[in-house]
Amino acid sequence: MAATAATPVTPTEPDPDRCVSEEESRGAEVEEENTQQHTGPAAAVSHSRLSKLPLARIKALMKTDPDVSLASQESVFIIAKATELFVEMIAKDSLVYAQQGKRKTLQRKDLDNAIEAIDEFAFLEGTLD
Amino acid sequence: MAERPEDLNLPNAVITRIIKEALPDGVNVSKEARRAISQAASVFVLYATSCANNFALKAKRKTLNAGDVLAAMEEMEFERFLEPLREALEDKEKKPDSVNEKSREEEEEEEEEEEERMEEEPEVEAENDAEDEE
Repeated sequence: MAATAATPVTPTEPDPDRCVSEEESRGAEVEEENTQQHTGPAAAVSHSRLSKLPLARIKALMKTDPDVSLASQESVFIIAKATELFVEMIAKDSLVYAQQGKRKTLQRKDLDNAIEAIDEFAFLEGTLD
Repeated sequence: MAERPEDLNLPNAVITRIIKEALPDGVNVSKEARRAISQAASVFVLYATSCANNFALKAKRKTLNAGDVLAAMEEMEFERFLEPLREALEDKEKKPDSVNEKSREEEEEEEEEEEERMEEEPEVEAENDAEDEE
């Protein structure tokens, strides 16, 4: 049985073009994952276990309320997480107004519009500088 | 050292990161918008805390707990937050870290207080029975 040259010969040297294309495809995959996160439902966005906001600062804020005596570690954590969700929500809701104005930069007035229009943000009226 | 609410802002870098991750690529955020969102976040913390504290006080507890915060979210019409918050709580329980050691001290304080409350409860129940008899 003669071994014909039908078997593909793997190049000993790495093909630079192939390397570049691999990196490009990897980059494209990462981008696709990111866009999937953005276009998917809000609940699908993965949150890390740790809160990004510093718990000590959150707790200090909570303690400025004279009616609050003690707050469990868990409650501070949950408020931190809720605040993250709130920031995401208000940013996304404000973006709608920027897009209506055909802008790609979120501006203060977009925020004001969102606060005025959205019931959940009513508590913010008159509180921002 | 008393800190006023106005002095306590959440770190700009973290707020900016949260905003950027929430928005699609290519969208920018003006400095004024970022500052306003950061302020809004502080107001949110204060409002949520006050609301949650009402639930704690209603239950005659002095310590705010996670359940109070969840109840506050519902009251504030942020029901959409409830599921991700519950998931975050479960995730936290699965992986205890050194931070939880501190919370045990607080939990002990909570238990002591709740025991005191439980002693008071029979009195409350007796009052209710009295009302029923009328």
